[in-house]
Amino acid sequence: MSRLLLDARDIGITFGGLKAVQGLTLQLPPGVLHGLIGPNGAGKTTAFNLLTGVYQPQSGSITLDSTRIDALPPHQIAKAGLCRTFQNIRLFGELTVLDNVRTACHCRGSHSIFATVLRSGPFVRQELAMHRRSMELLEVFGLAHLAREQAKNLPYGDQRRLEICRALATQPKVLLLDEPAAGMNPSEKRSLANAIRHIKDRYNLAVLLIEHDMGLVMDICQHITVLDHGVTIAAGPPAHIQNDPKVCEAYLGQPVDAVTT
Amino acid sequence: MAATDTNPIAAPTDLAAHYAAITGTGSMALRILAPILACLAVGLAVTGLGAALGDYPDNVLKQVGVFIIAAVSLNIVNGFTGQFSMGHAGFMAVGGYVAAGVSYYASLLYFGTAQAQDGLLTMGHVFMSLGVVVGACAAAGMGYLVGLPSLRLRGDYLAIVTLGFGEIVRVILQQTSPQVNAADPAQLQALRDAPFSTLITLPFNGPLGFEAIPRYANNAWVWAVAAATCVVAYRVKTSSSGRAFLSIREDEIAARSMGINLTRYKVRAFVLAAFFAGVAGGLLAHIGVPLSPVDAGFQRSFEIIIMVVLGGLGSISGAVLAAVLLTVIPELLRDLQQYRLILYALLLILVMLLRPQGLFGVREIWDLWSAKRPTTPPVTPPNSPPNSPPAEPAP
Repeated sequence: MSRLLLDARDIGITFGGLKAVQGLTLQLPPGVLHGLIGPNGAGKTTAFNLLTGVYQPQSGSITLDSTRIDALPPHQIAKAGLCRTFQNIRLFGELTVLDNVRTACHCRGSHSIFATVLRSGPFVRQELAMHRRSMELLEVFGLAHLAREQAKNLPYGDQRRLEICRALATQPKVLLLDEPAAGMNPSEKRSLANAIRHIKDRYNLAVLLIEHDMGLVMDICQHITVLDHGVTIAAGPPAHIQNDPKVCEAYLGQPVDAVTT
Repeated sequence: MAATDTNPIAAPTDLAAHYAAITGTGSMALRILAPILACLAVGLAVTGLGAALGDYPDNVLKQVGVFIIAAVSLNIVNGFTGQFSMGHAGFMAVGGYVAAGVSYYASLLYFGTAQAQDGLLTMGHVFMSLGVVVGACAAAGMGYLVGLPSLRLRGDYLAIVTLGFGEIVRVILQQTSPQVNAADPAQLQALRDAPFSTLITLPFNGPLGFEAIPRYANNAWVWAVAAATCVVAYRVKTSSSGRAFLSIREDEIAARSMGINLTRYKVRAFVLAAFFAGVAGGLLAHIGVPLSPVDAGFQRSFEIIIMVVLGGLGSISGAVLAAVLLTVIPELLRDLQQYRLILYALLLILVMLLRPQGLFGVREIWDLWSAKRPTTPPVTPPNSPPNSPPAEPAP
């Protein structure tokens, strides 16, 4: 396997007596679409919170492109090149669509208050670059014509797409998507799947995807990790996961002999 | 997906409009010079207005200018960044006392009197400017100290801390030692003999209030600085730093996940706001209003908060308009004597009932203007060129 962009080894955290995530290992090379699935409460979002620094892992290590990130605060992890979307949408509602994306460009360099107030040459050039880059991203997700709308006024599907756009504006190496297709209709899901593939190839990202839509996950992911009660119960390519008895058990319960025979 | 190579965004009209929106137009020199000239023009215009209206309105205008600075600066913390500060009057008092201390005692040592000197630009004006800058920096330092707990405290708790700050300033100012009386040659001589050991006792006249500060701040000074404050606030708001402030107000968790350093930007907001509060306090000291420790307390803080909320949290033009209204209306109501405050309160209640988001909400006055025009519904299919967005007005 080539160099790993994201290498999380054996990470875990407990809340009181609850072992939310235990011994989770995720290894993402560039250009991979990696699915993270599991029943409700399996610890998928907790895993995201560990990776993005919202929680500090109590064990294990997280390396992003050969930099240790497990002790860094969230904003530095974003700067190091790992960014996420949120399951319950967290846009900057009162800001415009464009400003949501431009805000995320901030971590790739900003200017002092003095340069800002004086409107120095470098400041203006950078603002223009941010504008151009943001519009380009909005274009990829078909949101460019909504650039001046307030984010809170967008329909649900567009808000989800805007979240991905905003995360991409931080120029991540690894993108974490937390249920990006939730609440979308089948045709929206298809175009979302295309968009995710497109941006992955274009920016050579590694994408880690939490999703409940098995059709989507099996369709676009090359590798899948299955969590249940914080423990990894299976990992491998989609075909392998689909036939794994432990996975079926986690989702559907133990087979009842009387019924199956 | 979209053919990003033949990207319609790079269309020159759109970028040109955006460029103009960020910069004002033109070269770097123009970007710096144009607002300075505009500020001077505002100062001169209001000076003319004050001269035409007479002495009493002229004095009211000065106060209006000072409160514009105070409201616009508080808006940076409460409006942009969403941190509820109730200690703004404390920062104003720090700036005011330091500025007044510098110019009063420098005048005593240099001229032997605290009478304002005649002339457009005298050594006295230099003392005032120096005092205002030093006072603003002292206030900014306090802003840094108060900003630090804001990293751990939210909402009501932060409000209490900032309220406490104002009260601490008030109590400390009450403990200062008596002012050196310029009319008493013996005291003056004592100050001249040992300036340092006199000044170290903070001779700001304790609870009686610091008086007889030279009146150097006319409408030209006050309003030019007020306009400059608005330019700074607007330029910050429409910049990368400004969006960082706003994103913290909208959603802290999302903001830090997008790489915004919450610590840095919360403290920056406090420092910036406290600096201009210090400027406002410094100018207020020089328009002939005696300084009193009570001014550091919560009453004045509330007045400024009301201005910001009434104007709309985050709206600069709203803060300006509210500062004008809430300073002028009480003066206009003076004829009603004891009914004045009742009417004033009723007016506030009425506005809050009719426009709970403030006069302009988070927007600016010119946004309301453009919102009235029928906007074309965004029906463009995703892959076709987007409507070129309307240009934001230049500051």
